[in-house]
Amino acid sequence: MSKQTAMESEATATTGETLVEVRNLKKYYEGGGMFGGDPVKAVDGVSFDIQKGETLGLVGESGCGKTTLGRTLVQLEDATDGEIHFDGRDITSISGEELKAWRQDTQMVFQDPESSLNDRMTVGEIVREPLDVHDWKTPQERRARVRELLETVGLREEHYYRYPHQFSGGQRQRIGIARALALEPDFIVLDEPVSALDVSVQAKVLNLLEDLQNEFGLTYLFIAHDLAVVRHICDRVAVMYLGNIMELGPADDLFDSPSNPYTHALLSAIPEPDPTSKRDRITLRGTPPSPRDPPEGCPFSTRCPVKIKPEEYRDLDDELWTRIEVLREVIRERSRAERSLSDRARELLGMETRYSSIEEIREEVFGDVAVPSRVETHIDEVADYVRAGKEAEARRYLFEEFGSECDYERPELYDVDGVQSVSLCHRHQSEHEEPATVYERQLSASGSK
Amino acid sequence: MSVLTDERRERTDGRPLLEISHLQTSFYTDKEVIRAVDDVSFDIHPGETVGIVGESGSGKSVTARSIMGLIESPGRIDGGAVKFRDLDTVRRFAKKYDKRTVDVTDEALAEAKGNDAETDADAFRSLVSKKDFVFVEERNGDEITAGYVDTTRAPDGAMRNVRGGGIAMVFQDPLTSLNPVYTVGNQIKESLRIHRGLSGQAATEKAIDLLEAVGIPDAARRVREYPHQFSGGMRQRAVIAMALACDPELLICDEPTTALDVTIQAQILELLDDIQEERDLGIMFITHDMGVIAEIADRVNVMYAGEIVETAGAVDLFENPRHPYTRGLLQSIPGTQGPDERLRTIEGDVPTPNEKPTYCRFAPRCPEAFDACDRVHPVPVAVNEDAADHAAACLLYPEDRSREDAVTLHDEQGKGETDAKTSGTTTGGATSDGTAADGGDTQ
Repeated sequence: MSKQTAMESEATATTGETLVEVRNLKKYYEGGGMFGGDPVKAVDGVSFDIQKGETLGLVGESGCGKTTLGRTLVQLEDATDGEIHFDGRDITSISGEELKAWRQDTQMVFQDPESSLNDRMTVGEIVREPLDVHDWKTPQERRARVRELLETVGLREEHYYRYPHQFSGGQRQRIGIARALALEPDFIVLDEPVSALDVSVQAKVLNLLEDLQNEFGLTYLFIAHDLAVVRHICDRVAVMYLGNIMELGPADDLFDSPSNPYTHALLSAIPEPDPTSKRDRITLRGTPPSPRDPPEGCPFSTRCPVKIKPEEYRDLDDELWTRIEVLREVIRERSRAERSLSDRARELLGMETRYSSIEEIREEVFGDVAVPSRVETHIDEVADYVRAGKEAEARRYLFEEFGSECDYERPELYDVDGVQSVSLCHRHQSEHEEPATVYERQLSASGSK
Repeated sequence: MSVLTDERRERTDGRPLLEISHLQTSFYTDKEVIRAVDDVSFDIHPGETVGIVGESGSGKSVTARSIMGLIESPGRIDGGAVKFRDLDTVRRFAKKYDKRTVDVTDEALAEAKGNDAETDADAFRSLVSKKDFVFVEERNGDEITAGYVDTTRAPDGAMRNVRGGGIAMVFQDPLTSLNPVYTVGNQIKESLRIHRGLSGQAATEKAIDLLEAVGIPDAARRVREYPHQFSGGMRQRAVIAMALACDPELLICDEPTTALDVTIQAQILELLDDIQEERDLGIMFITHDMGVIAEIADRVNVMYAGEIVETAGAVDLFENPRHPYTRGLLQSIPGTQGPDERLRTIEGDVPTPNEKPTYCRFAPRCPEAFDACDRVHPVPVAVNEDAADHAAACLLYPEDRSREDAVTLHDEQGKGETDAKTSGTTTGGATSDGTAADGGDTQ
């Protein structure tokens, strides 16, 4: 709670101004060439604001698009669509001198201190480079500024003439931070600044980042996958999944009472440094789907444990429902798997292919559960399609039969009752139960078994 | 977390599956000798998960590699023993390498003592020749009932048999431990062929079974795919399947989840737990993540600059960390104190252990250091009389003795240990009674 009030006071100290305003930002990577295929939808329409002086955390699994989003914000990548307003100015449309001038205000600190520093330059040259590029004052003043910066980040002046390989990981990250600070930016994107560091070194760098923020009134976008770090340093947190922001809210609200089903699962997966903790873990099935082929509806619908079931199957056993989802995943993977020439030849010749027969899969998936006839008939139908080699049709059939609004319709960001978060989930509509309620029921059911 | 059952204990007669005693591995560079693993001792029992935590450069991975016989020049194992007590392996090797097998049964020792050896250690040394690596401790008629293979002395041929057969290892980055030009199935089949003589259809079927066992759906298709077609979590599952291919007794996991996301990490930890329960595996789990250790380990060893500074049951260690380094490490994890507090840090950096320790290596960074820390090298001792299972290498302990007493104890035991080491490296348990070097036995 204390953190939230701290955040508010901070916000008022900076008059609650919005520094960065992102609207419906998209970044697609086209395949290129004739056989490019679908684009990779790395960031797929996100909107959020960053207040002056705050730290916004961006968390998510690898491949969810958090780094791409960070790089797009500092214009290292061109946005495919959408707007980024920085101090009221749309920076996606500026270029040339104007862009160069704006770059002084935003900087980035990269994840890997081993690869983000040029090994052939001395530390002094590395930190001075942005000053040189932007023709900052006189060379003499630049050198003085570099010495001052080295001291600010906890290095010593005599480190000016040393080379990066002479430093440890934590010290190298400090060099990266000094370089980012050189031009006195307002906004810094920190892309996993501490993930490559040991925990005791990590603590020192985090403390440094907090000190610098207080001293220079910096605004941070803090990208990380370590949720404990994010909770410690961030005022507000955005959770990303497959190019979308699933939940956005004050750090305490988000961690203490998560709203989105994905946030629930993510939080419960963090191992706590306490062997006696008896927390109920929600282990997600499988892996995130390919960003080339994201689900039509909710991005999380392929793995969501509390997905809304269609009306006619609402009474089905949870266990059986999970199996149906597994079958859908297998078929989906198959319809996307590339077939090599030899696979096709084998198929034509009627030889055994690497694709196990649908019967085997059925046995594997449904072998030990009772399947009521109304479900069975549909699975027979799917099996027929697969046998005929029509995986795409099988997938479509499953989608139409067992799909619900989670599969069809993209949810909106709903305001959540009781907390200040917004969350992307159909379950926040009044006709459905809240995700937390459903999770609780599932956990108590599995506990009593 | 699994609990050791009596049944499991019985199977190995209460002996550990793997016993590491006074292991010493150094790297000889032009500039200096780096004592990467410096007198490390601990045990792993069947069905038990032993965690090793420490920061980078503390010697965790070198310990694992020493066990597996994977130390390459300029590295060398200078002393100590790694005793692998799997009876099948011992019997098999005793047959195959009978010239390099030695009886160190009580009778044999007594006989040697009768000749002219004075102590047990001397007797042991008089029996063992330089080339011996299979040790028989008990015989019942012709059958070997207890013994061990010392992997630090084993020849390459024998080690190849142990690696993948008796002891398997899972590395940190699944992409580098899989060969990109062979299908996943091919790589699993390779170890089936080498260790079990399976080939053709039988091997393929076994490979599919293994992939299914580690939770990869549609295994029949996956077995013919290449590593790049797998996601990160799947790859690590495939590597685990490979490690399990030959039913190892011991699985060494070197940061197996560090490169993975938390949701995938949760899946892999769950998988390891299931596999352990199913197969009664001993697991040695190396990580720098205290959260992961808390979750998976039964027993935890904390390493610092090549030495084990604290060892205790997992619950005990997290509730009651004794060594100042362990405390510092736990306190620097974000989230262990109030959100507005600054993170507590440990001053300074991890030193490179490049000389024989005559002092405490943590002393320069230790908030509780006092004069004696600079001249006495602490040895692992029980933290107090009631806690035989919780040991720390710190002059503050045993806490129920006065400081002078404790320092004297460390000083004497440290010297005693050096004597024992110079007089015989592989005497096996003839040293440091009652200290935590043998902590595993007192469990």
